[in-house]
Amino acid sequence: MEEFLSVNQMYIVLGIVLLIWIGLASYLLRLDKKLQELEKRINKGGHS
Amino acid sequence: MKFVKYGSLGIISIVVLAGLGIPLSPSPQGWLEFPIIPGLEDKARNLFFHVPMAWTSVLAFLVSTYFGFRYLRTKEIDYDLKSVSAAGLGLLFCILATVTGALWARFNWGSFWNWDPRQTSIFILLLIYGAYFALRSAIESEEKRASLSAVYSIIGGLTAPFFIFVMPRMMAGLHPGAKGDPSGKGPLFEAKMLAPNMRVLFYLSLIGFTLLFIWMLQMRIRTARLDYESSLEQS
Repeated sequence: MEEFLSVNQMYIVLGIVLLIWIGLASYLLRLDKKLQELEKRINKGGHS
Repeated sequence: MKFVKYGSLGIISIVVLAGLGIPLSPSPQGWLEFPIIPGLEDKARNLFFHVPMAWTSVLAFLVSTYFGFRYLRTKEIDYDLKSVSAAGLGLLFCILATVTGALWARFNWGSFWNWDPRQTSIFILLLIYGAYFALRSAIESEEKRASLSAVYSIIGGLTAPFFIFVMPRMMAGLHPGAKGDPSGKGPLFEAKMLAPNMRVLFYLSLIGFTLLFIWMLQMRIRTARLDYESSLEQS
């Protein structure tokens, strides 16, 4: 593995880009969840 | 707003495409070849992705400080929502700078964590803003929470540029731009460190991630406002 990565360094760059994407996506998923909860809360408030 | 959205998507796409796609060459000719930097080789491409994370993080903390200051001046809760939204995004980008840096360090310096001055300073920043959210969650009263966290964000925001831009340049370390580094003060300030095409792509990446930050911040603020308004209606 170590040797493979020292020859094929592009995979390290790929890993770093992927880490950034995972970070941004998990933030978006959390924001999405929060918005869904808010939608539920606001809709309930509107009907009662 | 449209410019921010499509600008960030377009610029980051260009950066990913060119940053990963442009081939290395021992004697680069023209704009479509990167020079080989000894010791870095393909890993030099990480520069386009790792450094903008730290940059965006400091920017977010400064934006948080600005809105904290505005809150203290006006006592309008909207500024508190803006301040906490920016601080949250700052923490996200701070974490991303840390983990991408750790992965890069594993293959350039031998281990994930080396207590290099920059690694130490970003660790302290993570602690400072981790404590910011602990402080917020510990206070029940809305007004007190907003005032205290505004003061805290001003203190935190004053230290952030020091930890990222000043302290690592005053101490000897492994990062480029550390004290005693013959190549200068690091890629953000030293034009001669990078080939022109790498420099353009690097600054383009900083702009792209800054626009992405603005877009994400606006979405986060809109959510925070909705949350605040619906909690007012319920009480």
